[in-house]
Amino acid sequence: MPDAGPAAVPAPLLRVLGLSKIFGDIPVVDRVTLEVATGEIVMVIGPSGAGKSTMLRCINRIETPSEGEIWVAGVNMAGELRDGRLVPDARAVTARKRRLTGMVFQRFNLFTHLSALDNVAIGPRRVLGMPAAAARALALEHLDRMKLSAHVDKRPIQLSGGQQQRVAIARALAMSPQLMLFDEPTSALDPELVGEVLEAIRGLARDGLTMIVVTHEMQFAREVGTRVVFMDGGRIVEDRPSADFFATPRHERAREFLRRIHGGAAPALTAAGPPPG
Amino acid sequence: MNAFDWGAIWYAVPYMLQGAVVTLEISILAMVFGTVIGIVCGLVSVSRVGPLRWLVRVYVYFVRGTPALVQLFLVYFALPEIGIYVSAFWGGVIALSFNAGGFIAEIVRAAIGSIEPGQTEAALSIGMTDRQGLLLILLPQSLRQMAPPLTNELITLVKGSSLLSAISIAELTRSAQMIIAERFTPFEIYAALAVFYLIMISALARASEYVEKRLA
Ligand SMILES: Nc1ncnc2c1ncn2[C@@H]1O[C@H](COP(=O)(O)OP(=O)(O)O)[C@@H](O)[C@H]1O
Ligand SMILES: [Mg+2]
Repeated sequence: MPDAGPAAVPAPLLRVLGLSKIFGDIPVVDRVTLEVATGEIVMVIGPSGAGKSTMLRCINRIETPSEGEIWVAGVNMAGELRDGRLVPDARAVTARKRRLTGMVFQRFNLFTHLSALDNVAIGPRRVLGMPAAAARALALEHLDRMKLSAHVDKRPIQLSGGQQQRVAIARALAMSPQLMLFDEPTSALDPELVGEVLEAIRGLARDGLTMIVVTHEMQFAREVGTRVVFMDGGRIVEDRPSADFFATPRHERAREFLRRIHGGAAPALTAAGPPPG
Repeated sequence: MNAFDWGAIWYAVPYMLQGAVVTLEISILAMVFGTVIGIVCGLVSVSRVGPLRWLVRVYVYFVRGTPALVQLFLVYFALPEIGIYVSAFWGGVIALSFNAGGFIAEIVRAAIGSIEPGQTEAALSIGMTDRQGLLLILLPQSLRQMAPPLTNELITLVKGSSLLSAISIAELTRSAQMIIAERFTPFEIYAALAVFYLIMISALARASEYVEKRLA
C-alpha cells in the first residue's frame, strides 16, 4: 500500500520544488522552492531582473523549466510518472494542464483583433467548447464583475490601460483557474489608472481566489498579501507572512529594496535596526 | 516614322479581349490556389511540425531560386512524366499557383512572425493549443499586414501569366503575338497589350485597396 502521508495536512495548491531556469549559462531562476496553499495571496517582490516573471512563466509552462518540479492541484505540470520515470507531456496535454492557472501580463496582451467581449469569451468557447451563447453570457458576467459592462463591444485600442488590464483579468477568470498569476499587473499603467486595477484584484482576494502577484505596489502588497516572497538573483531570499516581512525585513537586500522603493523613507524598518549605509 | 496604325488596333481589340478573358480566368484560378497553398505552407512553416516545415523550406527555396519561366516548363513537362495529363490551360494554372504559393508562404510566414510574442503567450495562458493560437489569434491578426505584399504578389502573378504564351495558351500576350504575326504592326499591338495589362492591374490594385480598408 502506498504511503499516503499524514492525512490531516491538505496538499498545497501549488508546489514548486527546486525550480531552475537557465538562459545560456545564467540561472535566472535558481533552485526555487515554494508552496502555496488554497486561499493564500502571495506577493512576489524584488528588483528588476530577479527572475520573478520567469518563475511565474515556468509555473504555467509558458517557459519550460530547466530543472525542478511544479505541481498544481496535485498535477505534475511536466508529465506523468510511469515506472518511476517522467514521461513528458505532449504539448496538447500541457495546454490542458495550463488551464489550472490563469495569467495576467504586465502588458495586458489582449487579442487585438477581438472585442473585449470576445477576448473573454474565446477561451470558454474554443478551449472549453461551450456553446456560443453560454460563452457570451459567461464573458458578460466576468466583464460585469470587472465593472466593464459599458465597454464590452470595444476593441482593446479603444480602452484605457486600466480597462484593458481588467478585461485581461476577466479573460483569465472566465477559464475558472484554481490559481491566478499576476505579473506586475499595474506596471505598464499611467499612475491614475493603477487604483482601479488594484481594486479589482482586491475584490478577487476577498472572494478567496488563490493568487501569486508580482508587484512593486508595496502598500497593496502589505494590505492584500497574506505572504511576501522576496526574490533576488533568481533566489527566494525571504518568504514570510506579509505583516512580518514589512515590519521586520530580515535580509539586507530586502531592506535595501524597500528603502529604494520608498524613496529613502522606510518607516517600517526600525524594528530591524537602522539600515546600514 | 510611320503613322500610328489605329486600324491594326481596332482589328486586334476583339481578339485581345478574348485573350484577356483567358488571362483573367487563369490569374483568378491561380490566385485562389496560390493563396490557399501559400497560407497552408506559411502556417506549416511557423508550426512545430518539423518534417513538413523542412519540405516547405525546400519548396520556397526552389520557387525563389528559379525563374518563373523555368518553373512553368518544369511543371508543364513534368506533369505527364508522373502520369498527370492536363490541358495547357490547367498546366499553366498549376505552374502559376505553384509559383505564387511559394511567395505567399513567405508573406504569411513573415506576417505571422511579426506579431508580438505576447499574443501567443496570452493564447497559451488560456489553454489554447499551438494550433488554436495560430488559427484563432495569429492568422487573423496577420491578415492586415499580409494585404499589401499579397497585392504585390497577385500583381506579379497577373504579369507572370504572360509567360504562359510560351506554352501556347491563347491568353492575352499570346493573342497579341498572333495578331502581330498576321499584321506586322508590333508597336501598335504591344502598346495596346500594355494598356490591357495596365487596366487589369489597376482594377486589381483598386480591389485590394478596398479590401485593405475593410481589414483596417
Ligand atoms: N528568454 C530569455 N532569454 C534570455 N534571458 C532572459 C530571458 N527572459 C528573461 N531573461 C533574463 O532573466 C533575468 C530575469 O528576468 P525576469 O524573470 O523577467 O526578471 P523580473 O521579472 O524579476 O524582472 C533578466 O536578467 C532577463 O534579462
Ligand atoms: Mg518581470
